[in-house]
Amino acid sequence: MTHEELREEYGAFALGVADEPARLEIAEHLGRQCEECTTAVRQALATVAVMSEAVATAEPPARLRRRILDMVRKDPKRNWALGLIPWAAAGILAVALVSVGLTGRVAQKDKDALARLEQALQVLNDPAAKDVAFGDPQASGRVLVSPSRGVVLIAAHLPKLQSDRIFQMWVIPTQGNPISAGTFLSEVDDTAVYVRRGTVAGAAAIAVTVEPSGGSAQPTTTPFIVTKL
Amino acid sequence: MTIPGLLLALELSGHYDEELARRLQQRDERAMVDLYDRYGRLAWSVIVAIVRDASLAEDLVQETFLRVWTRIQFFEAGRGALGPWLLAIARNRAIDHIRSVRSRMDRGSVELDVASHPSLFVDMERDIFNTDHARLIGAAMKKLNANQQRVIELAYYEGLSQTEMAERMGQPLGTVKTWVRTALSTLRDHLGEAVR
Repeated sequence: MTHEELREEYGAFALGVADEPARLEIAEHLGRQCEECTTAVRQALATVAVMSEAVATAEPPARLRRRILDMVRKDPKRNWALGLIPWAAAGILAVALVSVGLTGRVAQKDKDALARLEQALQVLNDPAAKDVAFGDPQASGRVLVSPSRGVVLIAAHLPKLQSDRIFQMWVIPTQGNPISAGTFLSEVDDTAVYVRRGTVAGAAAIAVTVEPSGGSAQPTTTPFIVTKL
Repeated sequence: MTIPGLLLALELSGHYDEELARRLQQRDERAMVDLYDRYGRLAWSVIVAIVRDASLAEDLVQETFLRVWTRIQFFEAGRGALGPWLLAIARNRAIDHIRSVRSRMDRGSVELDVASHPSLFVDMERDIFNTDHARLIGAAMKKLNANQQRVIELAYYEGLSQTEMAERMGQPLGTVKTWVRTALSTLRDHLGEAVR
């Protein structure tokens, strides 16, 4: 698509409602720091941000403020950020997930986190799932792949990213080009737990690369994680 | 919220959010409370308007602040607009949820992650959430015709793609795209320098 065509889509992109192929093309332009796209999308995002002031104001419950503070307290039983995955101690995914479940997040009823754990467990519980460990100087961890349910990546010691970069997972088929399995960022302690649902039939390997922040249609850097299945 | 003298000075100088982001990057727990006091009500309002479920909204607000806490190292404190970034995460969390209910989570999660990357919130107006802008956006919304208002509502509150909007409204895709584009253009024109 030309820039003239993309100009029609910046607003929809900022609202998160652009259709393909415009969404992917704009993301690619952002990833390679296209000045025109970056400027236009930032302006559109600013407009969307101000739109939040047109939303009817509602008062949150008082307990929510306390929950926010509890969330970041250094008490390990409440520390979501650093206690997300006690990777070093866990060793295997099941132990890690159970440990996370015991860190207080269940008590805090975080449905989103529980949904992610549930998705991870669905992959883990698939008898057909493959469990592959990886480790190199840049990252270590484990990939679980269920052909019918999806992929779970648990990684530690991930490389530090520049502010305009993001991690991207790829499914490498036995034939043909890598298929994007989505983008993710690491936590502050350089760990990540990333779940990608869907079928992964015919995958020969799972790889992770560092890509421009918009993600890429195909890998643009050498994968630093490659797990052969 | 009571702001001590130094913070009040920072607030008046327009650097409060910059200092707040630096404190978050230094893992200052108190900064999270200050962040919540500053943006929690707005995040709550946006999320609860989208998901229409107070219990769920609490979880999504918490998830929003957790994301800021865990991703703040990617944020450029000196150039970034903290509030717009947080609000983008808040709305995306809510839209992700309702899309997952519609079983479209895979598509939505990737798309929205890109649109809330911290690098997209640099060099943006820092004082974007002020009473003038609230007044301006309210007036600007009233300038939209009924179709433009409808597509903005379907996009902002329901996260429908333009194709889905066209199906919902029984209109050609090109027509819906024109409405979305002209609606945002109208809003941007009314907001003026705040969004340039």
